[in-house]
Amino acid sequence: MKYLATALLISASLAQEADMSFDEVRVRAVPPGANISAVFMNVKNNTSTDLAIVSVDSSVADSVELHNNSTEDGKMKMRRIDQIKLNANSEIKLKPGGLHIMLIGLKRPLVEGDKIDLRVNLSDATSQSLEVPVVNIRPTMNKMTH
Amino acid sequence: MRKTTTYVLLGMALLVGAWASFELLGPKTPIPRYASASIGGDFQLSSVDGERKLSDFKGEVVLIYFGFISCPDVCPTSLAVMRQAIDQLSEEQREKVRGLFISVDPERDTVDELNAYTQYFSDRIIGVTGSTEEIDSVVKQYGAYYKFVQLDDSALGYTVDHSARIYLIDPEGQLADILAHDVNPNELHSKILAYL
Repeated sequence: MKYLATALLISASLAQEADMSFDEVRVRAVPPGANISAVFMNVKNNTSTDLAIVSVDSSVADSVELHNNSTEDGKMKMRRIDQIKLNANSEIKLKPGGLHIMLIGLKRPLVEGDKIDLRVNLSDATSQSLEVPVVNIRPTMNKMTH
Repeated sequence: MRKTTTYVLLGMALLVGAWASFELLGPKTPIPRYASASIGGDFQLSSVDGERKLSDFKGEVVLIYFGFISCPDVCPTSLAVMRQAIDQLSEEQREKVRGLFISVDPERDTVDELNAYTQYFSDRIIGVTGSTEEIDSVVKQYGAYYKFVQLDDSALGYTVDHSARIYLIDPEGQLADILAHDVNPNELHSKILAYL
């Protein structure tokens, strides 16, 4: 009986470990006047194959692009990138100040509490549909100062 | 044709020096002013309520930030930091703190839009902008930086590379401190309190 329970637990945990996991998916609530926003998430590639996010679609924006922010000599730069690499068995974080999915030409204001649709297209021709909550992205209070 | 701004290297060097001396001397020594480093000073730009000068806010701690509405990430983060720092103040203290969001993108950002944008974060933050010449002059005064960059591969059309610092002005109108765009809100709160 004990063995059976253990076996069931193992199979349950195996079943939960999807090929790809998308956590902490959120889109920034938009201040008035801004018709752009950014989506952030943690993406885990649990497969043994290198993959990449090659494009993203959403019905709330005219265009959805992959962007990266970088800082050079105290200057903030944002540029479009072709893909976001998801190496085998690794996790990548899309977060403020770094990689993000950019929504350009919003068709409606994004207010905290709303949800938007998002489809993430991967390099292996599969895609993942996500329902993304709109949140007020607040700065972390525990960040160490430099 | 947009004018690009110049990077005030000398000003930056002086500033880093002033900052370093502050860090090294520690909080027990008198807080040095940046006035001697020739950074800062008065300026006049347009808001939804007409022309505003920095000197209009004498007696208040002013937080100056250069940005633009279509800045997707860095500017909202900085404004949210300001909001959190200001929200921790008492009602009486809040009345003596002012945020000034200076848009470097006057072509896209009108004073009405700037007002709606800044009010979303805090009623203590006002949005101002001006002509390219006026903006460039303030940017130079504060050793800031911005540059329009065409993005041919993006629906954005263009973006703005920019410095992202929070300038803390003391109640006498002097530049007192310069903070990173993602400074801890608690730290910004303490800095504001130190000058109130």
